Amino acid sequence: MDPQLTEVNQFLGRFTAAMTRRDFTNCDSLLVQLKVLLTKFPSLPPSFQKTPNAVQELSIAREIYEHAVVLSVKNEDQDAFERDFHQLKPYYTDTRDIIPPSSQEYQILGLNLLRLLVQNRIAEFHTELELLSSSALENPCIKHAVELEQSFMEGAYNRVLSARQSVPNETYVYFMDLLAKTVRDEIAACSEKAYAYLSITDAKRILMFSSDQELTNYVTQEHIEWEIKNGSVFFQKTKESSPCKEIPSLQLINQTLSYARELERIV
Amino acid sequence: MGQERDVEMKEVADISNSDEHSSPAPVSKTIPTVQSLKEIVSMIEVGAYSKEVRRIARAVRLTIGIRLKITTSVILSFLSTTLQPGSEAHARLTSYLPKVDEKGNTVDLAEFPPQGSSKSPPEVEIYCYLLCLIYLIDQKCYSQAKACSTAGITRIKNMNRRTVDVLASKLYFYYSLSYEHTNSLSEIRGNLLSLHRMATLHHDELGQETLLNLLLRNYLHYNLYDQAEKLRSKAPRFEAHSNQQFCRYLFYLGKIRTIQLEYTDAKESLLQASRKAPAAARGFKIMCNKWAVIVRLLLGEIPERTIFMQNGMKNALVPYFELTNAVRIGDLELFRTVTEKCSNVFSKDGTHNLIVRLRYNVIRTGLRNISISYSRISLIDVAKKLRLESDNPVADAESIVAKAIRDGAIDATLDHTNGWMVSKETGDIYSTNEPQLAFNSRIAFCLNMHNEAVRALRFPPNSQKDKESAENRRERQQQEQELAKHLAEEEDDEF
Repeated sequence: MDPQLTEVNQFLGRFTAAMTRRDFTNCDSLLVQLKVLLTKFPSLPPSFQKTPNAVQELSIAREIYEHAVVLSVKNEDQDAFERDFHQLKPYYTDTRDIIPPSSQEYQILGLNLLRLLVQNRIAEFHTELELLSSSALENPCIKHAVELEQSFMEGAYNRVLSARQSVPNETYVYFMDLLAKTVRDEIAACSEKAYAYLSITDAKRILMFSSDQELTNYVTQEHIEWEIKNGSVFFQKTKESSPCKEIPSLQLINQTLSYARELERIV
Repeated sequence: MGQERDVEMKEVADISNSDEHSSPAPVSKTIPTVQSLKEIVSMIEVGAYSKEVRRIARAVRLTIGIRLKITTSVILSFLSTTLQPGSEAHARLTSYLPKVDEKGNTVDLAEFPPQGSSKSPPEVEIYCYLLCLIYLIDQKCYSQAKACSTAGITRIKNMNRRTVDVLASKLYFYYSLSYEHTNSLSEIRGNLLSLHRMATLHHDELGQETLLNLLLRNYLHYNLYDQAEKLRSKAPRFEAHSNQQFCRYLFYLGKIRTIQLEYTDAKESLLQASRKAPAAARGFKIMCNKWAVIVRLLLGEIPERTIFMQNGMKNALVPYFELTNAVRIGDLELFRTVTEKCSNVFSKDGTHNLIVRLRYNVIRTGLRNISISYSRISLIDVAKKLRLESDNPVADAESIVAKAIRDGAIDATLDHTNGWMVSKETGDIYSTNEPQLAFNSRIAFCLNMHNEAVRALRFPPNSQKDKESAENRRERQQQEQELAKHLAEEEDDEF
């Protein structure tokens, strides 16, 4: 066996051991070394040289980047997630005919969809979605993300929240928690427009707060214009278009003059 | 994607109508065809010597016109008269052609004695590649077509003549088409990119236009919308040279924008593409209409019935008509049945994911209908009317209504304690400034349109200079060239 491959394998062994110990700082340093070692493999993207070790090299590189993505979720580092995912993606798209598909593929793709949803990058979410085959859409990990997006668009927020209980994998929990925060802001924005007022108990339930204190804190921090009195939260109504009392003469004169000027040019 | 292939054929379709006998031409008829091919070649030669690109473009158009009359023997006799016998190009091109003609007779190469002219410009050689390629694609010999086009492309890469550009852009197109038929588009992506770079460096705008479209098509074939958009936004843009290429560009642009949720822009490009497309490009138009219908539905518009009744498109658009109906009524149940019934069509058209997005629009229209009909309705009834199927329909209905209110789809308020949705009285709109503003924006639009139209008027370039006859011009150009040559030589001497 190629000495470089053996070396990478040893490192990977230590890395997975550290992952199971949940020793993430150690994982980080090992991962950096692994990535440096990977640069020596000639068969990896973008060069794709057809070396005799290509299959082993590609599969091990893919495994390392899969671990890197999962590790970034554990470290709650979204930027690292994005970087690692983009490094991993060519292994899913461009090496299909060289190495067998990974068992982790859909889980990771689903995670990425969820991340885009959390960051409210809906356009990219749909672009990624187009890349998936119809059989991939049936996969529980992908389906989870797709259904979340739909409920989110429709406004069925309680469905989004109850989806947290049915996550297909524990790594999804981190993003689901982030999503809950986004959902709360959405609900607050909708309630503001839809209700004239809400009793404090109802507002607490709708906005998912466990105590009155949390609700008051939220109101003072995020929506200072809401009023809390007589045991209810009053939302400020937006100004409605009131019947016009007088003719806006100056504006009308200006407009008519500009029509005249334009017509002059035509005739 | 299947119907989209018709797009490729549209230039052909224009002419094929005028061609009555599509049956293989008997030997006696080969002579006039060869004769007309020879005329085309002489036109190319004149074009090449006088550097008049327009003549070459005309030659290509004429070729497409006689496309169906071409047979193996026509090509062989044509090749042996035009190309230098024994030359590399001649040997290579004859090797691609089938050795058996349409009636199953073996064609003997010896039947066509070499009588080729000794010297012909490289344009003619490229033209021969193009002719063979078109013939091979028509005969469905895709693997030979692949080999032939690849050889032609390699040849073009070593040429730097502006008069080849028209022929080259055609060759690029058939190159990509032959790879598409053999389902190996991804192989040529790198090659197309390097060709595009070359065309950009040579200021070959027609080539850039064609290659950009081929690249976009290549990416979209694999649903790589991200890469397609990155390329599109960074590629140089200029005024379109070919209407067909511009239509394709608009269609691809519309598709990309739809996927990235920029519906307003997408609608504009798709509608423009379908309007600009020539009448013969039916498949292309149908595809544009399908996408445009979905985009308009996603925008919350309901397309007019006339769109679905256009000539020759009625059957193809039936699934989309039913879909529109479901969205218009706002019935989730009907929407679900239509989606299931026509799922084959939708996944073939690649619109399935878009239709999934439509669900929200169905709900919104449903809600709007309810809000108009009732001044007060309980949320339980709303859930029932929308046929929301979930564990907790009332809570769902409440948040859905809340979101619709925020998005401005309905004008209502929610009463949480009683569980009601109360629609607001629609006030008298004519008591506000609203109509006046709308009127103003419409007038502004019309005036702007007029100004744009005036600005877009085109005048022939240098109409005074054009008065000199073509003869004079050619002479003048020749003189200029000689002068330039002299100058260059003098410069060389100095060093």
